[in-house]
Amino acid sequence: MRNQSDNIVADIDWVMVLLYFLLVGLGIFNIYASVYDPDHPNLFDQITQHGKQITWLGVSIFLGVIIMLLETSFLKKYAYWFYGVTIVLLVIVLFMPAVNGARAWFGIGSFGIQPAEFAKIGVALALAKYLSATDHSRSRNIQSGLSIIPKFSLTKLPLPALMILLVPAALILLQPDAGTFIIFTSFILVLYREGYAGNVLLFLIVAVIIAVVTLVVAESSFIIPGLKIKLSGKTGIVLSLITLGIIFYFVIRSFVLPRNRGGLYKALIGSLVVAIIFVNFIEIGYSKILMDHQKTRIDLVLGKIDDPDGEGYNINRAKAAIGSGGFFGKGYMKSTLANENQGHVPMQSTDFIFCTWSEEWGFAGSFSLVLIYTILLIKMIIIAERQRSDFTRIFAYSVTGIFFYHFMINVGMAIGLAPVIGIPLPFFSYGGSSMMSFSILFFHSAQIGCRA
Amino acid sequence: MNNDSRKYVIALMVLLVSFIFTVRLFYMQVIDDQWKDRAAEISENKVITQPARGVVYDRNKEKIISNVVYYDLRVVPNQAVGIDSVEFIKLVDMSMEDYVKTMNAARKYSKRKSSEFLTQIPPDEFTLIAPELYKYPGFFEVERTLRVYPKKTGAHILGYMNEVNNTDIERNPYYKSGDFIGRMGVERTYEQQLRGQRGVKYYLQNSIGVETERYENGKYDTLAVQGKSITLGIDWELQEYGERLMRNKLGCVVAIEPATGEILAMVSAPSYDPNLLVGRRLGENYLQLEKDTLLPLFNRAAGATYPPGSTFKLIMALTAMQEGVITPESGFSCIKSLVGCHNHGSAGSVSDAVKMSCNPYFYQITKKIIHQGKSSNGFKDAAIGLDIWAKYVQSFGIGTDLHIDFPGVMKGFVPNTAYYDKIYNQYGWQFETIYSICIGQGEVLVTSLEMANLAAIIANRGYYYYPHFIKEIEGEQIPEIYQQKNYTMVDSQYFAPVIDGMWRVVNEPGGTGGRARLDSIAICGKTGTAENFKVINGKRHQMTDHSIFSAFAPMDNPQIAIYVYIENTGFGGTWAAPLASLMIEKYITGSISDTTKENRILNANLIPDWSDIQPPKKPRSQRR
Ligand SMILES: [Zn+2]
Repeated sequence: MRNQSDNIVADIDWVMVLLYFLLVGLGIFNIYASVYDPDHPNLFDQITQHGKQITWLGVSIFLGVIIMLLETSFLKKYAYWFYGVTIVLLVIVLFMPAVNGARAWFGIGSFGIQPAEFAKIGVALALAKYLSATDHSRSRNIQSGLSIIPKFSLTKLPLPALMILLVPAALILLQPDAGTFIIFTSFILVLYREGYAGNVLLFLIVAVIIAVVTLVVAESSFIIPGLKIKLSGKTGIVLSLITLGIIFYFVIRSFVLPRNRGGLYKALIGSLVVAIIFVNFIEIGYSKILMDHQKTRIDLVLGKIDDPDGEGYNINRAKAAIGSGGFFGKGYMKSTLANENQGHVPMQSTDFIFCTWSEEWGFAGSFSLVLIYTILLIKMIIIAERQRSDFTRIFAYSVTGIFFYHFMINVGMAIGLAPVIGIPLPFFSYGGSSMMSFSILFFHSAQIGCRA
Repeated sequence: MNNDSRKYVIALMVLLVSFIFTVRLFYMQVIDDQWKDRAAEISENKVITQPARGVVYDRNKEKIISNVVYYDLRVVPNQAVGIDSVEFIKLVDMSMEDYVKTMNAARKYSKRKSSEFLTQIPPDEFTLIAPELYKYPGFFEVERTLRVYPKKTGAHILGYMNEVNNTDIERNPYYKSGDFIGRMGVERTYEQQLRGQRGVKYYLQNSIGVETERYENGKYDTLAVQGKSITLGIDWELQEYGERLMRNKLGCVVAIEPATGEILAMVSAPSYDPNLLVGRRLGENYLQLEKDTLLPLFNRAAGATYPPGSTFKLIMALTAMQEGVITPESGFSCIKSLVGCHNHGSAGSVSDAVKMSCNPYFYQITKKIIHQGKSSNGFKDAAIGLDIWAKYVQSFGIGTDLHIDFPGVMKGFVPNTAYYDKIYNQYGWQFETIYSICIGQGEVLVTSLEMANLAAIIANRGYYYYPHFIKEIEGEQIPEIYQQKNYTMVDSQYFAPVIDGMWRVVNEPGGTGGRARLDSIAICGKTGTAENFKVINGKRHQMTDHSIFSAFAPMDNPQIAIYVYIENTGFGGTWAAPLASLMIEKYITGSISDTTKENRILNANLIPDWSDIQPPKKPRSQRR
């Protein structure tokens, strides 16, 4: 780590700064088109969302400069404090009046603050501090994440680290704010990178596949040809899994040396049992625990239902806005769906901001934006990897994971690849809390980048 | 193994997600067109501006069809929450069943977009609804113009409009579902001129269907062009008077201006207020009218054919003179063994015969027309002669296409040789077989329009214009066809004795049409009586004859030719003749001198009582 007296300006990662201002600039430019009101055409008018967003940008830059001036050691030192404050805020917010059915906001005039946004920073700091302090991360050598048989290395994660994650996640679930909760799963990426999650990632992918298949076929039934036995979809999946297990058994018996077989058999049986329990868990969770509107959102993404003017209204309008953009788009301020005057696309300045952009700039614009985010994310990975300190690397990876998740889910939702979850697109969506928290995270990342 | 390799896995995940997004975006935005169509469906809309339909004037430039603003009630189902439906249906006067049905249909169409709820609410009803409408969110009104018939008269002439059906749309792509089209009468004939050209405005709409801006600055918009106004030859006061006189009677009156062929009035009784067939109650009222046993919807003037009776004799006299088989001074005795007659002095001339309507006289002259001795064989002679006769009759417009600018006009029927050959075989008949045609009975059939035209021909001394309603079309010539004279096969010189006879019918003692006499106007007329039968309980009953009067006036320089036909009221001189004279007087002088005569007609209820199925005892042969 360099000394504070070094020339900060010279050390700044200008590519990161450029990306930041590019995204924020395009974002404000795009919000302006999205919510344009002929009565308030001034870009800086504080009554408008673009005006407010500029104010938030000012605040964020101010915070960013402060962060740039801070010693990394200072952050490390007060990481738990910061974490503690965010937890306290998450508790207090549960006693606030509900907005849109969730107790997630502190209202300050017409500006609102979402503590959950800041909780992500707290968790990132605390996790980084804890993991870097416990010396586990570097010394732990776990088998490659790509080995075929999953090992449940999550159990090897120290309990405090798990608690750092689970406590805020649980509080956010109480609000309830499913979107931000899902973002917390992004920390799995960090854990994976640090060697903890190990095959959890692979496990997760397999689990997602099993879950999707379960949800698609669970409620249907089919008849085995020739046997005239009617089976439920769930039974079908279980039978398929068992069949798969038997195939693997024969594969092992044929290709693996006898002395290695024992462990593999155990792993096979274990996996099978876990998978079958998981299928039941998903099925019950879906049919008994999820609320109707949540089920509907999942069904819409899975294509189980199609209701363009009812339940599927949001996503149908979003896809129509994006899809009608063509190659070069309809032109700036010429969207016919994704702007507030037309009002066809809901939340077009926040959760569905990608629609306005894609409708007005077409594939040329949407691809460019995807490219900018991709460059940003790769750049963030490079910065994280450059870190020599565990704390900064873990923190930088946390930030990368959060950004990646926001990008993946927000854009995925707008184009119908992910269920509708209300989370913002970093720097692009209107909103003070997300603007500030993303900026703080980003400047941290940039700061440690320039001091690597 | 070092965890460092995992950074590649993470970077790969980022690239994979970005790649999937790029492919998906490329597919959605560039390849797949469904979202463009969907976006257009969501955000674009068009409004059709219906042009105001052309106004219709009568010959004195009085508006007889005009437009009035009606109201449609529309609903946005999403906004229509907490509606007190019981109060609402009371307000707009609809059944709960209809309310639920319409609301469900609207919901099914779109919850966010408005649907038609109740259409064509007349302005007087809407003034009661409007102040209460604020209690029912989601409901709003849209104006539309509909027809109004300010004179409440001439329903059969003016016709009515209703919504286009699939056949209309197939026939003419101009029409779109929900459009209105002239269905009957002048509204139908001049549909193309009256309807104008609709305008289209494309616009962008927001999520609740409200217009936000013009589509492409109105590049594809077109303006509505108002329909052309037209002027009819109808004199609405005469029409209205005719309808008044024909109240409580069945039948029709057709009046034509001989000098132009313009139809001055066409009354079919019973009639109805044309305003009944406008607006939301059209269907209901139509059914009511359709159920009426007196058939008010039926236009008797254009759509009914029947034997002409004695008025047909005029053509016999004219033809005989033109063919040279008689002269105006030819006399024939009243030989009742040939065909029945009433008691009268002997007919020593054509004029006498017309005045007295002597059946044997016309028997004998018609026989002369048909049996001219062109063949020594009597049967062959009849075959040759009848075709000559038929050509003459047709030259008077009977049984031919009169090119009337009106839908549903029937043609009369003039039997010819081929027709009788089919019945009696070739050369299987001669005049004696078919003699009843000479007095307008038997197989001859006419329409009232044809007979009014016959009166006009006699008034013109030998020619006619095709009868027509149209007088002027805004910015357009009326069809050429209505400006050409059509000559009969009879020279004008032969009309004088017939006209003289017709004058005597009305003005001389012993004339059959004395009740038509006026001091101020020289009316020429001819009475007629038409036999008719009605099938009751499967049995054919002879009913009281139809009373007929055909006339024109004044004798010199005629201004009006008229044909009156009143069902089942007996002798033509009793009711039809005085009614015709009232019409003539009203038209020529604008007032009525003899109010006793007028009141007698106005107060008469001549609707036959069919519950009494006893056929009237009346000798069949008595024709005058
Ligand atoms: Zn006689």
